Amino acid sequence: MTDTYKILVVDDEPDLEPLILQRMRRQIRSNEYEFVFARDGLDALEKLNADSTIDMVLSDINMPKMDGLTLLQQLPDVDPNLRAVIVSAYGDMDNIRTAMNRGAFDFVTKPIDFDDLKITISRTLEHLAEWREALSSRDQLVALQNELSIASQLQQSILPTIPPVTEGCEVSANMEPARNVGGDFYDYFRLDNQIGLVVADVSDKGIPASMFMMSSRTALKGAAIGVRDPEKVLTEVNSQLQQDNPTFMFVTLIYALYNPETGLLTYSIAGHDPPMLVSADGTVTELPLTKGIAVGIAADVVYTQESVTLEPGDTVVLYTDGVTEAMNADNQQFGMDRLAEVFAGNSPESATSANEAVFERVRIFAGDAPQSDDITCLTLRRP
Amino acid sequence: MEFSHDRSGDTLVVNASGRVDGSNASDFLESLQGMFDPGDQRIILDLGGLEYISSAGLRVLLMAAQNLDKQNKSFSICSLTEAVGDVFRISGFDQIINVFPSVEDAKQG
Repeated sequence: MTDTYKILVVDDEPDLEPLILQRMRRQIRSNEYEFVFARDGLDALEKLNADSTIDMVLSDINMPKMDGLTLLQQLPDVDPNLRAVIVSAYGDMDNIRTAMNRGAFDFVTKPIDFDDLKITISRTLEHLAEWREALSSRDQLVALQNELSIASQLQQSILPTIPPVTEGCEVSANMEPARNVGGDFYDYFRLDNQIGLVVADVSDKGIPASMFMMSSRTALKGAAIGVRDPEKVLTEVNSQLQQDNPTFMFVTLIYALYNPETGLLTYSIAGHDPPMLVSADGTVTELPLTKGIAVGIAADVVYTQESVTLEPGDTVVLYTDGVTEAMNADNQQFGMDRLAEVFAGNSPESATSANEAVFERVRIFAGDAPQSDDITCLTLRRP
Repeated sequence: MEFSHDRSGDTLVVNASGRVDGSNASDFLESLQGMFDPGDQRIILDLGGLEYISSAGLRVLLMAAQNLDKQNKSFSICSLTEAVGDVFRISGFDQIINVFPSVEDAKQG
């Protein structure tokens, strides 16, 4: 966009050209406006097609070959962002109405009052500038949304989809992001003959959270490969993430290590809701918290761990607060009690059915209420 | 979110009520910090009217706390409802930010 606006004046009256050049000489000399002239609608279309830098059309109505009202109809095909002002005889309301209906931005009447014309032109061009600004913002927004959707795909693609298949172990997990890019994640991986399990929730959502999530996940997996004890893994991850964290992002998580041969599950919690145990008989209990706080906010945090032995048919549910804090239309939260009710007296037949049941219940509860947080659930079952 | 505040001497008590989540966390921080005067040495945030705080809300509280700490000013929160108290307890934020049962306790502390 240049600083000089180019205005096409369309009139079959030859005297108008010198008049405009004379009356607008100041604006022309200061490069504010540049004028080009056409003698009828057809001539105008030719000039518009030949010169895409014309910003605005000022057109008479009655002209030979093609009149101003017909020209108006053609303008959107040339450039939908052109703005047109119509010049009509004083009191000619019929034509003025037709012109406005055909998309004219404004009109001036004959004989032309040049003060009024100057105001009309400047108002039209101001509107055009705002319109172009809005268009460019819209284009940027579309570009940003495309990037967000790529980030979302990228994030979904790093979540594992094929659970480890081992005797004595069923795992199922799912994450439903609230916005394009979420802050929750889960992970599972083999560590020799054991399985590492993670459910995590990064503070806030969007791109910054997802970047922090990526580094948390990498740090955690790295630490888990290095040491076995969950409490040591969390201590290591915390010291890594806490060191350089100017944005005060943090992540709450559970890291658990499961031995499919013995059913022993050892876990450590960093500021996260404790796991829920559903026994084979349908008894639901909350497993004890361990010591420790959200990862990334303080140095030298002491983490501890707890252990529980899963009997055949026992299921452990790891979840983020997107489950318990899911809201319905009445602003009620799903809550721990409803989560427990999913399984009370109704021990799941598989890790997959347990996981699906959680999402199903939350979905029914929330109804049409918008999802405000990522929802993540990981279920581990000893068959 | 709604705010009110009360200043006596170098102590500023801010009452915040409503909900803080990802959608308004940065507004929350801006409003909160907008109430601070250079002369305030002790800031007490009364969260008695707070119904809900998400992790995004905890994060901005942490930012406020650390900023004040850098300026050698004291920051504490008080009067947490059970639900909000649970969030602080489970996340471990009650070990990072001073939490008191009431405004009076916070003033003593």
